[in-house]
Amino acid sequence: MSDSVVSTNGWKPNPRAARRRSADHVATAFGMVMAGILVLVLASILWTLLSRGLAGLSAAAIMKPMGPPGSSSGLANAIVGSLIQTFLALLLATPLGLGCGIYLSEYGTDTNKFASCVRFVSDVLMSVPSILVGLFVYQVMVAPFGHFSALAGSVALAILAVPIIVRTTEDMLRLVPTAMREAGAALGATRWRVTLSLCLRSAKTGVLTGILLALARVSGETAPLLFTSLGNQNWSFSLTRPMASLPVTIYQYAGASYEDWVQLAWAGALLVTMGVLAINIAVRVSARRG
Amino acid sequence: MTSGTLQGMTQDSMMTKTDPQAAKIPEVALAVRNLNFYYGENHALHDISVDFQARRVTAMIGPSGCGKSTLLRIFNRMYDLYPGQRATGEVMFDGRNILDHDLDLNILRARVGMVFQKPTPFPMSIYDNIAFGVRLHEKLNKADMDARVQDVLTRVALWNEVRDRLNAPASGLSGGQQQRLCIARSIATRPEVLLLDEPTSALDPISTARIEELLDELKEEFTIAIVTHNMQQAARCADQVAFFYMGRLIEVDSADRMFTNPKQQQTQDYITGRFG
Repeated sequence: MSDSVVSTNGWKPNPRAARRRSADHVATAFGMVMAGILVLVLASILWTLLSRGLAGLSAAAIMKPMGPPGSSSGLANAIVGSLIQTFLALLLATPLGLGCGIYLSEYGTDTNKFASCVRFVSDVLMSVPSILVGLFVYQVMVAPFGHFSALAGSVALAILAVPIIVRTTEDMLRLVPTAMREAGAALGATRWRVTLSLCLRSAKTGVLTGILLALARVSGETAPLLFTSLGNQNWSFSLTRPMASLPVTIYQYAGASYEDWVQLAWAGALLVTMGVLAINIAVRVSARRG
Repeated sequence: MTSGTLQGMTQDSMMTKTDPQAAKIPEVALAVRNLNFYYGENHALHDISVDFQARRVTAMIGPSGCGKSTLLRIFNRMYDLYPGQRATGEVMFDGRNILDHDLDLNILRARVGMVFQKPTPFPMSIYDNIAFGVRLHEKLNKADMDARVQDVLTRVALWNEVRDRLNAPASGLSGGQQQRLCIARSIATRPEVLLLDEPTSALDPISTARIEELLDELKEEFTIAIVTHNMQQAARCADQVAFFYMGRLIEVDSADRMFTNPKQQQTQDYITGRFG
């Protein structure tokens, strides 16, 4: 210590500051431990999935269709079935969700009773258990025709995707400044032209992100498919017939007592997870670019 | 000056400028009569009557909330975007009351352009920002469109700065360039009236000066109505100045007289900075 500066004793330890500091350390440690636990859970799921899934993932698993136990069968028809059904679902859900989101943002002002009703229903639909959606589609699209169909499966998935697209489309369009709409209108553009060419164009990254999120959400759904597209052991490209899908196959195979089926279930789970992961990365990349 | 134009001068005592254009009696582009405006229950403009002369700059000044922007937004019926806002009275433009319910707003807005406070480049290329408005009203071939784009960009003194990157996004331009682009976009549809709502308040002094110079050139062709908070800007740019206070038009006169010898005490107080 140097004597050249006169101490006023302003530096003596303050018990209140010490207490605040230790409280801060405790809070930080608590947060870190919780985050660590979460990462650990996720890592152990991924580790199990990778170690068991990679063992079952072979060329045959991807190239060959499903078959009886012990026949070195694969998941090809389930993979293709999943792709067909999710993309058909997206094809059905995107125009509906976009149109509805545009309506809520551009036309459904806060005083509009119908719009508040639509917004409420859409939000409720977002949290409806997916098995209820499956049962509903079973009642209207399976029971009356007397057979399961891929189309019914796609419709069930679409019903789950629509509210997500509606919500993100509305939110993203509401972020477009009013000045942009006024500037478009001031040039003599109709409301529809302003919405389409200006608002939707400046919100396109966010809207696309919403569609991809909906895709990620429905691509792993099992419950809505159980009563609708049912699953299929064989190749089928007919939308009016039962169709295989990865989640339903995982559900069937994982509980089976045949070792090779369980292996395929793990491989299928890994495929679905990687697919969802790829979509999420695409979302991040597109969001960053926008 | 000929005797004919001298006679004209006596008919319009407002004219004080001596450029050749002033020798003619300016025709009235927008004639506002007994105009009232309401935001729902709120009576925002009271019995406004004022003429906007063709090919002249009319500046509207007054403290915030006095109704000057409200008046500007009536001229292209911008208020129609919002339910609950309505206007009564008369705004005659080319023989029609633009407040009429059956008026085609898209045609009105092609004839009355508007530039806003903040630059609002559209999410597209510089070229398409200009072409967007033109395409709404005219079908031009590529060569004609190119010529139109070059013409308006030249007139706002932007051509030399952007000629090499017409296909680049307009959002990459500086604030001042964006605002000049917005003016170019507005005049590309060949309107007769140009409305400017504090067009330089978000810009630096150099960009502001360039836009003021531009106004001087544009008024040879367009009737310009500008809302501004900047007294010097009104004095520099305007031929006619209208002072608003609490939703009423207090005084309207030539810029020269308004700033040297206003008739109303309130105007005097405002322009000398005693309130507002």
